[in-house]
Amino acid sequence: MKAGKLRFSKPNKYWVESSQKRYVPHPEDSVLGIVVDSRSDNFLVDIKGPSLAFLPVLAFEGGTRRNIPKFEVGTLIYVRVVKANPGMNPELSCTDATGKGGEFGALKEGFMFECSTGLSRTLLSSPTCPVLEALGKKLSFEIAIGLNGRVWVNSASPSTTIIVSNAIMNSESLSGAQQRIMVEKLLQKIQ
Amino acid sequence: MEIERPDGRSPNQLRPLACSRSVLHRAHGSASWAQGDTKVVAAIYGPKSGTRKNENPEKASIEVVWKPKTGQIGKAEREYEMILKRTLESICIRSIYPNTTTSVIVQVIHDDGALLPCAINAACAALVDAGIPLRHLAVAICCSVADDGYIFLDPNKQEEEKMKAFSYLVFPNSNVSVLPERSSQEGGEPTAHGIITSVTHGAMSVDDYLHCLERGRAVSARLSEFLRKNLEPKSSSESSRAG
Repeated sequence: MKAGKLRFSKPNKYWVESSQKRYVPHPEDSVLGIVVDSRSDNFLVDIKGPSLAFLPVLAFEGGTRRNIPKFEVGTLIYVRVVKANPGMNPELSCTDATGKGGEFGALKEGFMFECSTGLSRTLLSSPTCPVLEALGKKLSFEIAIGLNGRVWVNSASPSTTIIVSNAIMNSESLSGAQQRIMVEKLLQKIQ
Repeated sequence: MEIERPDGRSPNQLRPLACSRSVLHRAHGSASWAQGDTKVVAAIYGPKSGTRKNENPEKASIEVVWKPKTGQIGKAEREYEMILKRTLESICIRSIYPNTTTSVIVQVIHDDGALLPCAINAACAALVDAGIPLRHLAVAICCSVADDGYIFLDPNKQEEEKMKAFSYLVFPNSNVSVLPERSSQEGGEPTAHGIITSVTHGAMSVDDYLHCLERGRAVSARLSEFLRKNLEPKSSSESSRAG
């Protein structure tokens, strides 16, 4: 039982939403993990949960014993949680449910920062979060958001990456209109 | 006859309470709790995988580190750690994350009497901040017995030294029901009469102890109110940046 806000959606769904720094693994969540170790049959990945997660070596699109990817310790990967049973290490996969690779896999270059789980959920909500919308209108960047509270940003110039990361980190406690004003102020500073 | 306390409080009056959450950026959950001049900061890290030796791997385990304001860590700190560990283990739902360890670090900022209850309150608020699943909250209070049998709540350091005996009591917080009629009902819920921890120092008679229990339980409702209000998310000023 955790402390949080009681949310309601019609017709009869109530739930308690809370935001923490640690993540509770859940199946079908897309998260950003960091490779901690590699064994013969799976990689050990840290996803900010109570235990390390396993990423089977064959869980890639077209993965066979002959083309096992070589992830070094410290590689940032975008993965999907397949199983998350209590007491067992969660299982991950770099393919979606149908077996296609999609955007999963290692993330090269860019910058990763951590945030709370509540902020990642807001960033991934639809319609698009006001911060991302306002930033997207003026800047071009690539972003990957993990539901476990990790965000990865990549763009052509370091200053754009810094502005996007700062804007997202500051937007946690602001309302939609305040977020837009904050982004405008940040953008004015570089122009 | 009203006995005057050095700082002018009545026997049942608590010192001003102050609590803030998310005070530390790197800890997964943190809270600071102040009762008058006694101030404690608690930080929670975890749950992390792996248990220590001699711990049951089928349950989540809690590890407490008590850091005094000055001086080396000695027997008194170990005793506080053990009491805090047992108290927190009884309020956490330990079967949810088996084979994990949650670390609780308690740092004493200032000790002006009633240190252990302050630490327990801080640790409980920090556990909520970290999102560790709990059965219920715990509120702790210190009751001291004077030579003539008078009972004072929440003594400061001077009073504690003069008293014949004092006891730290930890109660589960009272249930608040959404229906207003249920909240004022007596009895019914077993947790309304439970007690989590009781530590006594000094010699007191059984009657005195039972009086302490009564007074403590009566005041715990006020403390629960305060704790509950403080745990409400502050929508505009809350910012949790993870390091």
